[in-house]
Amino acid sequence: MPMKPPPKLRPTAWDGLVVLCVAALALGTAFFQWRGGTSQALTAVVSVDGTEVDRFAPADLAASPRTYEHNGYTLEVALSIDYEHPASSVLPPSGKSGLCVVRSDCPTQDCVHTGTITESGQSIVCLPARFILCLEGGTPDPDGVDAVLG
Amino acid sequence: MKLTPRQLTLCALLTAMALALSYLENLFPLSLAVPIPGVKLGLANIVTVFALYALGPGEALLILLARCFLGSLFAGNMNALLFSLLGGLCAMGTMALLSRRRGLSIYGVSIGGAAAHNCGQIAAAALSLGSAAPLYYLPVLLAVSLLTGGLTGLACACLFRGLRRTNLTKG
Repeated sequence: MPMKPPPKLRPTAWDGLVVLCVAALALGTAFFQWRGGTSQALTAVVSVDGTEVDRFAPADLAASPRTYEHNGYTLEVALSIDYEHPASSVLPPSGKSGLCVVRSDCPTQDCVHTGTITESGQSIVCLPARFILCLEGGTPDPDGVDAVLG
Repeated sequence: MKLTPRQLTLCALLTAMALALSYLENLFPLSLAVPIPGVKLGLANIVTVFALYALGPGEALLILLARCFLGSLFAGNMNALLFSLLGGLCAMGTMALLSRRRGLSIYGVSIGGAAAHNCGQIAAAALSLGSAAPLYYLPVLLAVSLLTGGLTGLACACLFRGLRRTNLTKG
C-alpha cells in the first residue's frame, strides 16, 4: 500500500487556526441564531414538511397537551414547568416555563431528548416526522407601555 | 480513475470497515449527552481520513459514496441518504483541500472535516424540512465537532503510527 505524502501526526500551530476558525463560526452562528427576545408573549409555531399547521400561546397547553401526526409518527407536545420552580403548577412570573415533546414514537427520540424550549427562536426538530416546533415573538414592544402607575 | 485489483480490494475492505464503524457508533449514542438531531461521534470518518492520505482523494470519495449508499440501503432509510451524502461530501471536499496545506496535521484536517460534515447535515435538514429552524443547532454541532474531529484525528494518528511499524505501507 504505497502511501501518498505522509500526514503530520503531531498537532501543529496551523491546527490551532482551524480550531479557531471552527470556534469563531460556532460563536458567529450562535450570535445570530440564539439572540432571542424575552420570554414574554411567546407564540409556538408547529410546522410539518415546511408548512405551518398550528400556532398557539404556550399557556394554551396548560389544560392538556396537543398531539400531531405526520409521516407515520405521533408526537405529543406539552407545557413544561421550569425546574427552578418545581412547585409551580401554572406559568411562573418569569415566563420561564416552556414547551417540550413529551412523547414520540419516532426511532431517534431526539425530539424528546431535546427537552424544554423556553426562549424565542428555540426549536425542537423531529427529522423522522419532519416536524418543527418553534417559539416566536417575545421581543418587547419598544413603543409599548412599560408600566401603568396610580 | 483506473483501480488495480489490489486498490479495488482495499477500497472494498475500507468500505466494509466504514459501514461497521457506522453501525458500531449506534451503540454509543452521543445524542443522549448532547440531545441534538444528527449529533454523532463520526467513527466512519476515521476510514475517510485514512483513505484520503493512504490512497488519495479519488479512492476516498469512492469509499465515501459506497458507504453512504450501502448504509442507507441496509438501514432501509433512503431519507438518510441526503443527510449522509451532503455531510460526507462537504467533509470530503474540506478535508481534501485542507490535506494539501502542508502545515496542517491530521488533527486539523479531521476537525475541519467534522465541522464541514455538520454544516452539510444542517443544510440537508434545512432542505428536507423546508425551514431554517435546524440552523439553531449549528453552533452546538460545530462545538461538538471540535471534540469528535479531534478524536477521529487521534484515532487516525494512532493508526498511521501503527502502520509505520509494519511493512504494509511499502509499495
